[in-house]
Amino acid sequence: MIDALFGNIIWMALITIGGVLISWSVHFVPVGGAPAAMAQATGIGTGTVQLAAGAGLTGLVSAGFMMNVTDNLPLILASGAVGAMIMIAVTMIVGTLVYVYGVGVVPSSAKVKVDPITKYRQDLYVSQGTEGHGLPTVSFVSGVIGGGLGGIGGSLVYYSLIEVGMSVGLERAGITNAVTGNPLVAVAAIFAIGIFFVNAVIPSYNIGGTIEGFHDPKFKKWPKAVVSSLIATILCAIVAVVAIAQLGGI
Amino acid sequence: MSAGGAGGEAKGGYPPQTIMAIGIVGGLAGIYLGNFMPPAYSFFGGIGAICATVWGADAVRRVASYGLGTGVPSIGMLALGMGILASLFGLSIGGVAGPIVAFVVAAIIGGVIGALANKVIGMGIPIMEQAMVEIAGAGTLVILGLSVVIAGSFDYTSVVQYVVANGYIALIFIIGGMGILHPFNASLGPDEKQDRTLMLAVEKGAIALIIAGFASSLHEGLMAAGLNMFVGIVIWYFAFSKHYALIKRDAYAVVGTGLLPSSEELQ
Repeated sequence: MIDALFGNIIWMALITIGGVLISWSVHFVPVGGAPAAMAQATGIGTGTVQLAAGAGLTGLVSAGFMMNVTDNLPLILASGAVGAMIMIAVTMIVGTLVYVYGVGVVPSSAKVKVDPITKYRQDLYVSQGTEGHGLPTVSFVSGVIGGGLGGIGGSLVYYSLIEVGMSVGLERAGITNAVTGNPLVAVAAIFAIGIFFVNAVIPSYNIGGTIEGFHDPKFKKWPKAVVSSLIATILCAIVAVVAIAQLGGI
Repeated sequence: MSAGGAGGEAKGGYPPQTIMAIGIVGGLAGIYLGNFMPPAYSFFGGIGAICATVWGADAVRRVASYGLGTGVPSIGMLALGMGILASLFGLSIGGVAGPIVAFVVAAIIGGVIGALANKVIGMGIPIMEQAMVEIAGAGTLVILGLSVVIAGSFDYTSVVQYVVANGYIALIFIIGGMGILHPFNASLGPDEKQDRTLMLAVEKGAIALIIAGFASSLHEGLMAAGLNMFVGIVIWYFAFSKHYALIKRDAYAVVGTGLLPSSEELQ
């Protein structure tokens, strides 16, 4: 058990970095929750955890697909990032279509007077009594950045866990025809999902409500969440590495 | 998403210690009975999972009454995220003591995350540390209990082969999390009562047992799977009837709206 931990110290460091990236990425994603679903706040009308999980799991799937053909880490990370960015961008495009053509509101932010990217005035278009509505350009760009970071983090965690399994002598690509698949891939994937959820919830406690993206005043709180995620992910990494190393004994 | 708000301590009902005892003792007893009895009795694991679900739902009720600012579901997902890590770790090194090791590891992870949430992030919820320990423990016991239903034992090899490698773990993740996060999320409001919330948790746990029983047919055969589902359906029926009775008790009035009007009556 101790040998496994010391033998995989580099992978544990990479898992921790992945967890921190996921935690940081959550702050970029424009989350509106129930008020946004009623077009009374900017962002996507659901919670941080659901969005981060959606982007992260898509990233995991696309990283896993890339691992079919190559074990080049930068390519795998890029594949995970692009998968997560596509997922979050499509969600936001459809959300904007619903806001503009379904609800009939102009995407506008109440947190800044001028959109930092397009330089358009925002305050003129905000309905009275609301915190803005829709997904202004800056939120869209911020969300795509968040998806990319989350995808890199998720695929880094998954890749590291697979490498831990390889280091104890488990084959990677042994796909069988049986109903039950490769135990290493399954355990690595479910641990990546567990680490993803832990690191998606911790920053959402930090945000506590809506966030529009990197221009939001709340964005400045991210160091707290990143420090918390760092400590929590170190614990998770120890637990996951030991459990995967024990698979070698089966 | 400004769900919740500045709330306060959850009031009324059974004390937390009672529910905690039901969750820990019932959960572990169910998991061990399901492991050591013949495969046909694996529904004991599901009954253990129901006890743990009730405990988890009560812990969510107590911590979410303060207002998390992120909605109640996030805490259920956190419970199962911590639970997956702790349960597989415990089974991998624990042997016969696996569930107990998993439970202790879950308590440690939960305690650390609770302390981080209060000290570093500064949520300022007085019971955050204790509630996180309880929620992580309950999530772990739910996963272990439902894994015992599907695999028939909590041996690491069997669980990895029959629960994790074929993807049923994802199913357990969602139905177990639903049992912990849904009861308070559905019942919250000024007239929330503990017995009604917890009865909903029993009902959700029974649905989880039915679904896990369905999944167990792959490995345990149709007879054992049928028995698992039968026990689940019986528990679900009693819990649902009781929950409906409690709704009628707490409602101001229960009235029939009649059938939809026909097109002639509308003119």
